Formats: sequence, structure tokens, C-alpha cells
Amino acid sequence: MSEPAIVAEHLTYRYGDLLAVDHISFTVERGEILGFLGPNGAGKSTTVKMLTGQLRPASGRALLLGIDVARSPKRVQARIGVCFEQPNLYEELSGIDNLHLFARLFNVRDLDVDALLRRVGLDGRGRDLVGRYSKGMKQRLMIARALVHRPDILFLDEPTEGLDPTSAEAIRRVILEEQQRGATIFLTTHDMYEADRLCQRVAFINNGKIVALDTPYNLKQQYGKRMVRAELMGPDGAIYTREIVLDRPETPAEMADLLAHERVMTLHTEEATLEDIFIRLTGRSLV
Amino acid sequence: MSVAAIWALIQKDARLYAANRLFALVTVLGLVAYIVIYFLLPATVDETLHLGVVTPTLPSALAEALTDDAVQVTYFDTADQLRAAVAAGDVTVGFAFPPDLYDQIRQGQQPTVELLLAPEVTPDLVTVYEAVGRELSFALIGQALPVTISEVVLGTDLAGAQIAPRQRMLPLFAVLVLMVECLGLASLIAAEVEQGTIRALLVTPLTMRGLFVAKSLFGSLFAFGQAVVLMAITGGLAHAALLNLTALLLGSVLMTGVAFLIAALGRDLMSVMGWGMLALLILALPSFNILVPGLAAEWVQLIPTHYLVDTIYRSLNFGAGWSEVGVNLAPLAGSALLLLALGMVILQRRFA
Repeated sequence: MSEPAIVAEHLTYRYGDLLAVDHISFTVERGEILGFLGPNGAGKSTTVKMLTGQLRPASGRALLLGIDVARSPKRVQARIGVCFEQPNLYEELSGIDNLHLFARLFNVRDLDVDALLRRVGLDGRGRDLVGRYSKGMKQRLMIARALVHRPDILFLDEPTEGLDPTSAEAIRRVILEEQQRGATIFLTTHDMYEADRLCQRVAFINNGKIVALDTPYNLKQQYGKRMVRAELMGPDGAIYTREIVLDRPETPAEMADLLAHERVMTLHTEEATLEDIFIRLTGRSLV
Repeated sequence: MSVAAIWALIQKDARLYAANRLFALVTVLGLVAYIVIYFLLPATVDETLHLGVVTPTLPSALAEALTDDAVQVTYFDTADQLRAAVAAGDVTVGFAFPPDLYDQIRQGQQPTVELLLAPEVTPDLVTVYEAVGRELSFALIGQALPVTISEVVLGTDLAGAQIAPRQRMLPLFAVLVLMVECLGLASLIAAEVEQGTIRALLVTPLTMRGLFVAKSLFGSLFAFGQAVVLMAITGGLAHAALLNLTALLLGSVLMTGVAFLIAALGRDLMSVMGWGMLALLILALPSFNILVPGLAAEWVQLIPTHYLVDTIYRSLNFGAGWSEVGVNLAPLAGSALLLLALGMVILQRRFA
């Protein structure tokens, strides 16, 4: 069995007196998509910076593809692609020029820039100056830039935030394609739907600590409440709702009572969302 | 450190520089303007002193005293006419003797001789002209001092070989060309920090050292290239070309170090311009010292550009070579490398 793509061991970082990341440990297997979820200031960006060699941990260590990031950051950076949250492209250059520049930095000589642009839905716009791109187009170009050297690990920081549905869907498609290629993806996001749909596992980080790390299914099983929500019509014609929590001994009787004595208008099963679970675990909202 | 990566960064910076309309325009127009101004400035110096005199008579002794190629004497009938000529700039210095000069002397009175000066006469020369007026008065009444003045010029005699204004300006133009590139480079780097593109570069195999090598090469060679164009067109490389090229190259490295410091201090284009103007004022000071000799004190030699300016000025105008001004290159190189290293260290903290 190959070694994990990412191993974080007691990673810690301080900004002065503030403990931004507090001895966090986790692993990400090769080919896995890990969602890294947490509110602003939770320590997500600092963790990503330590994993990508932009910050040196105060203590602990990070191994990417078996290489110690703090000791050999450039060896690691040659094999990872990073897509930042804020667009940081050369806006006075064209999309193609941006990609060619980074291809040369990664010593890529056979870049098929047209194919790459096509993958992110920017075919035909490569020669335009990036300054004329929309936010969604810039984000897609950032993804393309992170892919020029076919990295083993992709770090994506809020890749779909604030994008139109078409751009967001294009980026999600590329993420899944990269996973199929064999890349490991470290996805930082606020979007619970996106994390639920794309990630094999999600990690919740709060106040610099990982408070939960598991598959979305297991987290829902472990922390969520499955229930049935019914919309009922009362004797006066008013609509009201009734919720019945599943998986309890009295649930069958309550369900029978509902169906026998109430006028049921709609009936839905509901499960807890990752957002609900995060709030339950931390007492804070993700956004 | 990959040569291909460094070359890619240099090409990228050149494109970004060209894409910045302000700096592209300032670079091209500045270079053209300096060259045009150079050729519009006088190539020679008019050393003739235009003297105006109002005197009741012109004794032969006075006429002989005023016979000199360097002095052009114009005689006026009245003091009012002389005043008008000085005010109009036709005459630099005027001596108006009273019409009754001899009567006043015979009566034992002390006549007043009016000394009229054009605005450009410097204060230190006023007392000289006062002495000249007294001497002329003695000559008029036939009492010339029984002494002979022997002229000895120690050092280079510049009589008839004054340094033309354009030659005095050339070192200033060279510093300005380098400084414009310095501001452009500082602005580029500040924009890269502000837009976060530096972060994107540094999560690639590109090392911090490689990044600085690329920036240093781009800044130094771009500035050097323009300075060479300026000097070549204005004939600044006609004498001691290798010496001047070496000085300009070191000056370009110096300005690149200054650009790193400005970029480390500036947060945006406006603050880069603010710090840049301060740096420009300080670094151009040695050039002003050449334009107006005696303007600045000895401490100007603490400004690194003094060694660049002094080398160019003396080699161009006094034929100085390696033996005379080569010694300037050591402090110039030392300060260039020091500023470059300092700029890198401080700027690196902004990149982190």
C-alpha cells in the first residue's frame, strides 16, 4: 500500500500570542478528496500554508508524498498545484501567457494550452487579457494554472465561492476529473453541498483544532438526527408541521398515529446537513 | 535555480513593464526628452563679459585697461541708458561715473560711482566688481597703481574651455534615466505583492533566490540599456567608454537595490511614487552639485550616486581615465551591492 499523500503530525502555528493552528494531525490518502471545513479564522488558510511550504510550522511536521515540507519545500512544491482563494493572476497578460509562464517555472515543455483551457471552459478566450475576464473565468484560469504540471496533490481554496452556477459546475467537474487521474485533492470550502458531493472525507476545523474528521455519511450517522417532517392540515384548515425523529423505539407508534389521525398533506424524510453537524459540534456557523 | 525559469520571469517583467502605460510612456518620452534637451542646450559657453560704462572722458590708460578679448565694453551717454541696457540683459555689469567727476575731485568731494549689476551676477562677484570700479576710478584720474598683476592658473586652465551646459547636465540625465527605471521596477514589485502573484510564484519550484536574481537582472539590465542609449547618442561614450559603461552598470545595480527598498516600503503605486521622489531627490543631489558648483557640502560624497556622477563628469569633461576616477568604482560597487543585499532582505520579509 502506498504511503499517504498528506500526513500532518501535530502541526502548530502561532501569530504572536494567537494559537492559529493547535497540534492538528490527519492523513489524506492518495486519490482522495478531503474537504477542509471551518469558519473564517478557524485556521484553514494557515494549515494550507504550512502544508504547501509557505509557512514553517512552530512545531509538528507535514509530509507530502513522503517528503518533509519544511525541509524540502521546493521538492514538494514541484509536485503540488495550489489554487488560491483570491485571484492572483497577471491581469496585464493573456490567459495563455499566464499558463505558459507557470509551465516554464515547472519546466513543462509539452503543455497543450488549448486542451487545458478547453477543460476549464475557457477555449477561445485564452488570448484575451486576464484583466478582461469575469470572476468565474479568472477562477477557472487559476484552476488551469494549478494543473499545468499535472500535480500529484491539488490544494483548492474556496474554488467555487461567489461563482455563477455554470462556472462552479465546470470547476467541480475538473476536480472530479483530477481525482480520476489519480490526484489527491485538499479542498477548502464553505459550501456544504459541494463538500458533501465531492469529498470522500471532511474535516471540521474550529479554533485551530480538528473537531471531526470522517466521511460525510458517517458524520451524519454519528452526529445527525434522521427525521420525518410532515405538513398537516388542522380542523380549521391551517397547515402545520410535525417532526418525528427516526431510530427511536417510539418512532413506529408515532408514525402510525400520524397516519391514522392526521390529515397529511406532505411527508419528507430529512437528514442532518454537514452545516447542522458543524453547528452542533462547535456552536458556530460555517459562514 | 533554473536559467529557463529566470529568463521566463525576465520576459514576464518586460511585458508587464511595457503593459504599464505610465511607465512605458515615461520611459520612452523621458529618454527622448533628455536627448532632445541635451542637443538644445548650448554646446559652448559665452565667456565674454559685457561691460557698460558711462564716463565723461575715456583716457587712453582706461581704454588700454579695458582692452581684452574676454571683455566687451559699450559706452553710454547717460546713466539712464546704461540702467536700461543692464535691465534688458544687454550688459552684465555697468559703471556709471558722474558727468562732473573731475570737478568733484578738484573740489575735494568724494564722487559716487554707480555699479549696476544684472540679476545673474552672483553675490561673491559683487565685491570683485566694486574693486574693479575703484581701479577704473584711479585709472580715470591718472593714478593707476604702480603694480603688475601676474596671472597663474593652478590646475586645468578652463579659460576658453568652459564646460558647456549640456555637458554639465549629462550626468544628471544619466541618473534620471536610471531613476525612472528604478521607480518602474519598484512599482512592478509592489503590484506583485499587492495582487498576490508573488505568492503564486513562490509555491512553484522557483526559489526566493531565483526570484531575486530575475528581478535584479531585469532591473539592472533594463536601466543600463537605456543609460547606454542616452550616453551613446549624446557622445558620452566617446572617451573612456569602458570606464563609463562600468560606472553605469554599477549605477544600474545600485538603483535596483534602491528599487527593492522602495518596493518594500511602498504599498501601492502612490506610496511607491512618494518614496521614489524622496530617493530621487537625494540621489540626484550630486548632479546638482555639478550644475551649481559649491552648492552642496562635502557630505554629498556620502550619497552613492556621487561616485557615478563624478566618474562620468570628469571623464567626459576633463578626460579623466581609470587612473584618475577608477577609484570611484570601488565605493560605487560597494554601495550598490550593499543596497541590493539590504533591499533583498527587507523585501523578502514582505514576500513572506
